[in-house]
Amino acid sequence: MSSVSKQNKKSQQEKSRTTALSVKWARRREVALEVLRNPLTVIGLVIIFLFLMMAAFAPLLVEPNQPDPYQSPRDWSNIDAAPGVAGHILGTDSTGGDVLYGIIWGSRLSLQLSLTVVLFTLIFGTIVGSIAAMRGGKLDNLLMRIVDVFLSIPELIFALAIAAVLGPDFSNIILALAAVFWVKYARIIRGEIIRVKQADYVAAAKVLGDSQWNIYRKDVLPNAATPLIVQATLDMGNVVLIGATLSFIGLAQAGLTEWGALVSNGQSGLLAGEWWVSTFAGLAIVLWALAFNLVGDGLRDVLDPKTEGR
Amino acid sequence: MSENWLLKVQDLSVHFHSPRGVVHAVDNVSFEIKPGETLALVGETGCGKSVTARSILRLVPEPPGEYASGKILLSQDQDQSIEILSAPIKAVRAIRGERISMIFQDPGKALNPALTIGRQLAEVFGEHRMDMILENAGIEPDKASRADKMIAQQRASFLQIRLFSLLRSKKGKALQKSIDDAVARALADTGIPNPRKIMNSYPHELSGGMKQRVMIAQALACDPDLLIADEPTTALDVTIQARILELIQEMQKRRGMAVLYITHDLSLVREFADRVAVMYAGRIVETGPAVDVLASPQHPYTQGLLGAIPHRRTPRGQLAAIPGSVPQLVSPPAQCHFASRCKWAAEACKSVVPLLNSTETSRKVACLRFDTAEKLSVDIGDMPARAEMGEVAAE
Repeated sequence: MSSVSKQNKKSQQEKSRTTALSVKWARRREVALEVLRNPLTVIGLVIIFLFLMMAAFAPLLVEPNQPDPYQSPRDWSNIDAAPGVAGHILGTDSTGGDVLYGIIWGSRLSLQLSLTVVLFTLIFGTIVGSIAAMRGGKLDNLLMRIVDVFLSIPELIFALAIAAVLGPDFSNIILALAAVFWVKYARIIRGEIIRVKQADYVAAAKVLGDSQWNIYRKDVLPNAATPLIVQATLDMGNVVLIGATLSFIGLAQAGLTEWGALVSNGQSGLLAGEWWVSTFAGLAIVLWALAFNLVGDGLRDVLDPKTEGR
Repeated sequence: MSENWLLKVQDLSVHFHSPRGVVHAVDNVSFEIKPGETLALVGETGCGKSVTARSILRLVPEPPGEYASGKILLSQDQDQSIEILSAPIKAVRAIRGERISMIFQDPGKALNPALTIGRQLAEVFGEHRMDMILENAGIEPDKASRADKMIAQQRASFLQIRLFSLLRSKKGKALQKSIDDAVARALADTGIPNPRKIMNSYPHELSGGMKQRVMIAQALACDPDLLIADEPTTALDVTIQARILELIQEMQKRRGMAVLYITHDLSLVREFADRVAVMYAGRIVETGPAVDVLASPQHPYTQGLLGAIPHRRTPRGQLAAIPGSVPQLVSPPAQCHFASRCKWAAEACKSVVPLLNSTETSRKVACLRFDTAEKLSVDIGDMPARAEMGEVAAE
């Protein structure tokens, strides 16, 4: 191509490149709009956004307790105070801990718990499942039997056993959940990869001389990842539910501003009519899990239209 | 080169191990392809033609597949050749795409739905044509630093790490342009209008014919010596079939590459193939120049195939068919597989495997009784041409 004709074409190319960019953004906007068309998904997103804001601005919303902000400040003069009493908007529990404080700082713990567990399990499960599906044969068999062993024990009971062995600590809850949740991802991605591997475009990539790794990163993973994204979103809620259950039983440190622990604290007061502690903390858990479930369902409807009309 | 062939398949047998026994999908198949030649491998579904084609690229999954015997030789420079079935997988990978490429039956399934057309093609160029990309960006390939190559690799990869793109170096821009130009040129070559726009489309946004053109652009990106076309038009509308085949023919002429058509479409054979090999139940039963074989088929199976095509003069309701059905290929007996359906079958046909024997110059047939078999002469001018078929379908 001569340099003259190149120059002539230049403006035309620049033009097409800018339109290309806008096309790309238009497509992304389309997907976003599609997701937002479902009002339930929007509600979920709003709740998640509020929780994130709450976690981010916790120190501004309520004065952090010294030295450990994740322990509720004790107002010994106002034990079991009803909502609205003496600056305790949502009341206090039996040790004078402010419920609102617990919920606000607890959102940080919930976020920490769910993000750590989901990120770790997503990555680890994907690696294990991918190796199994791509290598196949005996290795696949071995890895999947290990997964079967994990799946044979109910999530909650398995996590409970691990956390109990490790001792009462919030980080042990994270460990226990991570050890339990990865198998689901390994299962899902393995099935998806085996499905995608049959596709002609994988054969086409082989014909072009691509290596296993190239085929995996370019053709297999992008086409197999959708159910993982949906599952990860749903698990952001599930992890907090099970985490709350474990700390409810007392597997977190005493006095931690964790929502499950708060529910547990308020439980003894329920019969005495002191309903506010368990109710508000429980409400936080429900809202969190509900929000991620709504968004996860919405994502599934858009990303995987075949399951529509369930 | 002393012997003038590009690819030589010798006594290839491919078996599949199934719970019901060993399936002899391909049985002692031999043929050669000369540089620039067009060979059509014809046969009905399940006759082993696709397995033969995939064996050439060693794409048959092992297990359950097994290359039971035979050699596939690909000629290289200076009278050298490489045996594909026993070569290390790395060497085979180097052949795939670079020397032998393939296009598939259904272009809708053979393109990655998650990537834009441009990205898919860019990947191919990044993988195989790094030198060209560097050169067009004004960097001499020999003097290119590791960093240059990395940037080029990254630009060609579908995973554009935004951080890298933010460092808008002059070199990065030049490399990006070089890649984009290469992709656009490859697309324009296959007659795609407005390639810069198509580059940013996803496969589902294109029509079948357009997708097949993209497939062809991708398969020809590295200038292969041999293109295997596995039923390239089966999934397309009749109206664009001819255009895609003409495109392949044009590319073939321009690049001097050989084409191996896998097809069951005899009108395609007549118009586009130099030679034809007819397969039945895993074996080649007849080979020869396409014109001759279609004009005077010598094997009873070929005769039956041609007889089954409706002609203008065929009276209504009298379409010929071959009686019986294709035999099971699980542990097949040592006999002519066509014997049970053949009207000229003798006792000998049920105890001997007929070998391909020369009958005329450059023609071979695997039949014990081809002398006695009544010659069926087909008036070749009678067969509807592709263009006509297209018109009929369009009406």
